[in-house]
Amino acid sequence: MKRIVRLLSWITNRGVREREMEEELRAHIEMRAEDLVREGLPKEEAYRCARVEFGGLERTKEECREVRGLSVLDGIWQDLRFGGRMLKKSPGFTATAVISLALGIGANTGLFSLVNAVLLGSLPVRNPQELVVVQYTTPESSGDVADDDYSYPMYRAIRNKNTVFSGVLCRSGLELNASLGGQSERVSGELVSGNYYETLGVTPYLGRLIAPDDDRVPGEGAVAVLSYGYWQRRFGGDGSIVGRDILLNSAPMRVIGVTPAGFYGTDLGRNPDIRVPMMMAKVFRPVPANRLENPRHSWLTILARRKPEVTTGQAQAALDLLYHQELSDELAGSDLSPHEREKRMGQRIRLEAGNQGFAHMRSEMERPLMLMFGATAMVLLIACANLVNLIMARNAKRRQEVAVRLAIGAGNGRLVRQWLTESLLLSAIGGAAGVAVAYWAKTALIGFMPREYAMNLRAPLDWRVLVFALAATMLTGLLSGLAPALELGRAHVAPSMREGVPATSVPERLLSLRSALVFGQVALSLPLLIGAGLFLHSLANLRGVNTGFTKENVYLATLNPSLNAYPRERVKEVYDELLTRVRALPGVKAASLTTSSVISGGWDQEGVRVEGYTPGLDENMNPNAALVSTGYFATLGIPVVKGRDFTEQDTAGRAKVAIVNETMARYFFGDRDPLGKKMSVSDEKDAPLDIEIVGVVKDAKYVRVTEATKRHFYTPMAQEPRLADMTLQVRTSTEEEARHIGEMVKAQLREIDANVPLYAATTLEIQIDNSLVRERLLTWLSGVFGVLATLLAAVGLAGVVAFSVARRTKEIGIRMALGAQSGDILREVLARVTALVAAGLMVGLALAFWVSRAAGSVLFEVKPSDPAAFVGACVVLGMAAMMAGYWPARRAVKVDPMVALRWE
Amino acid sequence: MGRELELLQGTLDMLILKAVSLGPLHGYGILLRIEQISKKRLEIQQGSLYPALYRLEDQGWIKSEWGESDNNRKAKFYSLTAAGKKRLVAETEKWREMSEVIAGILGTRAEEV
Repeated sequence: MKRIVRLLSWITNRGVREREMEEELRAHIEMRAEDLVREGLPKEEAYRCARVEFGGLERTKEECREVRGLSVLDGIWQDLRFGGRMLKKSPGFTATAVISLALGIGANTGLFSLVNAVLLGSLPVRNPQELVVVQYTTPESSGDVADDDYSYPMYRAIRNKNTVFSGVLCRSGLELNASLGGQSERVSGELVSGNYYETLGVTPYLGRLIAPDDDRVPGEGAVAVLSYGYWQRRFGGDGSIVGRDILLNSAPMRVIGVTPAGFYGTDLGRNPDIRVPMMMAKVFRPVPANRLENPRHSWLTILARRKPEVTTGQAQAALDLLYHQELSDELAGSDLSPHEREKRMGQRIRLEAGNQGFAHMRSEMERPLMLMFGATAMVLLIACANLVNLIMARNAKRRQEVAVRLAIGAGNGRLVRQWLTESLLLSAIGGAAGVAVAYWAKTALIGFMPREYAMNLRAPLDWRVLVFALAATMLTGLLSGLAPALELGRAHVAPSMREGVPATSVPERLLSLRSALVFGQVALSLPLLIGAGLFLHSLANLRGVNTGFTKENVYLATLNPSLNAYPRERVKEVYDELLTRVRALPGVKAASLTTSSVISGGWDQEGVRVEGYTPGLDENMNPNAALVSTGYFATLGIPVVKGRDFTEQDTAGRAKVAIVNETMARYFFGDRDPLGKKMSVSDEKDAPLDIEIVGVVKDAKYVRVTEATKRHFYTPMAQEPRLADMTLQVRTSTEEEARHIGEMVKAQLREIDANVPLYAATTLEIQIDNSLVRERLLTWLSGVFGVLATLLAAVGLAGVVAFSVARRTKEIGIRMALGAQSGDILREVLARVTALVAAGLMVGLALAFWVSRAAGSVLFEVKPSDPAAFVGACVVLGMAAMMAGYWPARRAVKVDPMVALRWE
Repeated sequence: MGRELELLQGTLDMLILKAVSLGPLHGYGILLRIEQISKKRLEIQQGSLYPALYRLEDQGWIKSEWGESDNNRKAKFYSLTAAGKKRLVAETEKWREMSEVIAGILGTRAEEV
């Protein structure tokens, strides 16, 4: 306790105490001197004697400070002040160092904040580590990939009969049209079980949240909870909305509450605007009608909270037992084949940690983020190396100061501590600036992520991120400070203090350390550049893929009149009317509607049976499917290679028709003509083959640019009784028009029906580009890092060459005076540079080979050992390095020999 | 005057306390007084005086105050605290006991073992 008090008073009284001690000791010496004078010595003699008798004044002071127990702190404070002064005296050095540190630490911290949010963060709920995601594995997938969709009866059984969970919730996503006062918009929604909020442990921000009582009777419980973000956006934070009704898909729902700002749900990156009780599925997802009672319809995901005393392993075993009991009860009364039964009973429950919820964004972004993290770490190392070089260059000028300090008794350890404190101070400044850079970097990075994730991703600079920044800073400071500090500490005292010895005649050791650093920088920069080359190549490949359709100048937007619970005829009317009007707009070359838009990341699939084709056991009979209007293929520029396109004559009541793509034709019919053959859109054994194939179209890419071509068939939307959401596609003459036609289309739709909103408006080019966001992110970042690393390495190399040449000025001068040509000198210097760079490149290549294998999974049609990337990177780095070495060397040999010889 | 004795370790503290117990002194004065009352048989290393003083003050046996010396020079005077007085008494007693024991051991003759 006394120590703490003394520490505080030390901080406040430090100056005073130092002065007092100084006075006291001086007084002692003076008094002794006076006595000696009285004994007869002359004044100066007496004074000198007294001083010698006393012994080392500084040493005594040091001992006194030590006795007080605060000398270490004292020393550090001294070092800090001294360090601060030194930094102020060389602003150029300080600025360069701080900037490179800020960039290095900032990039790392920014990326780490993303890693923190995406990979490490937990759900903002109570005790997230108790949560588990309930999945099951099938015998075919053998544990690699698990499914997680369940039927409502199965959920209910799990919830009611388990003994290992304190709560089991289920949820499913929902598309909603929200309407208030005549203004409607599309929102994202979620159906949740009554105990959703209870199980997660979320308390309301306003009003109350959905409770089990709201979720008892199908069709009842017309209540809704708003997310904080939606409440702010749509209602401006007006609390009066609680207690009022809004129309969701034309059904009146009472708003009962708002969730807190930090809560987004069970899936990072998804933040549904409105939640309603599961029993309302009858209203919002009326098809199939027996959704809540049908054990064969799986559409829910389940999250459960373990009882604290139960481990995940125990819960999994118990749940597996329960699951199989329920399954066998279900299967007992069903008409499934024995093969199907076996498949079902072969499922095994698997419980995954649920502290991150359903974690879809995590699995997608994990690899790219970790790759990027590795890259930023490399950049930081390179920046460190540069810092070491800078510090050592500066220390070379301070050799005299060091020698003097050593001579008056500073221990080696003290000196090392001084240098370390200086570099830690530098890092601290750089680190603080780095946090600001991190904020900017993080925002820029989020801008690169897929839009639906980026919208909801908060990567705050929380304590974990700041601790990381602090650790990075300290590590940098220690790394950069240690080498030069140790180097300096071992300096020879005598030669440096002798006059006439030039400050640049430094031991060979120093130069080789700096050369080693440059070698390391080159070796680290090469993998980064190669990575940039690989990603660039991959991206170019992706952009150049023949998608099978013309992607320019196509406007896209989605609408869903059926959400308003209109009768079928009305829905068809809206669609038909819209198509007619849009086709009449100026600049429109073609327009059509489709259920699935190309390269949007999702597609419908339907089970089929085909005339003359007997599927094998478990064979996949689910090709991609789409309902389209007339003019679909014309809008996208997909040629019809056989037969015909859909026409206005293909309506309900007429013969049912379909068009298939080449791959499907080949799959089911081989070389035979598919035209005229029949198929059915249903995999039931007895379904009638009543659809005739009338045309074959060229293959295209449907879901992803990177996919292998799949089977696909199209049916006319006019012949389909039920229509849900459809995407409008409009081909214009130019990309410009495609972007601006949205307003006119919206106006047309408003005239037709003001209650049907148009959403997700974009162009096809933008949509495709969005799907490539991961690749774009990687390419951009690795490019930036590669360039940055190369620059740093080049600067480092230039510094070393300049240093080495300056050191040999005298020698060069003599040689030139004796007749050596400047060209010879230059060649010799460059030979050494080449050797250094070549060595660095070789190690860099080895490193690159090793590291590039990790990137294999994110490359498209590019081998990790892609020669173009490797050669290109070597050339770029090699040239940069040679130029960096050439320039200072050339300046040096231009020096007049007379000047060089005289210079000392 | 007898031989100058080397100062045994740890006894400096005791001597300082004793010197100060006879009246407040500044550092130099303490040095002189010890020399004086030891009849010049004891010489203190000047360098170890002040660390010892600071330590004793830290431990609370002595306290310091700025004042004026004979020559009207500003100096820091040390004086014994109450705790210091008790400490001096205790240490003196311990020293006496210890020296008796040691003297006894050293004076043992062969037959007494």
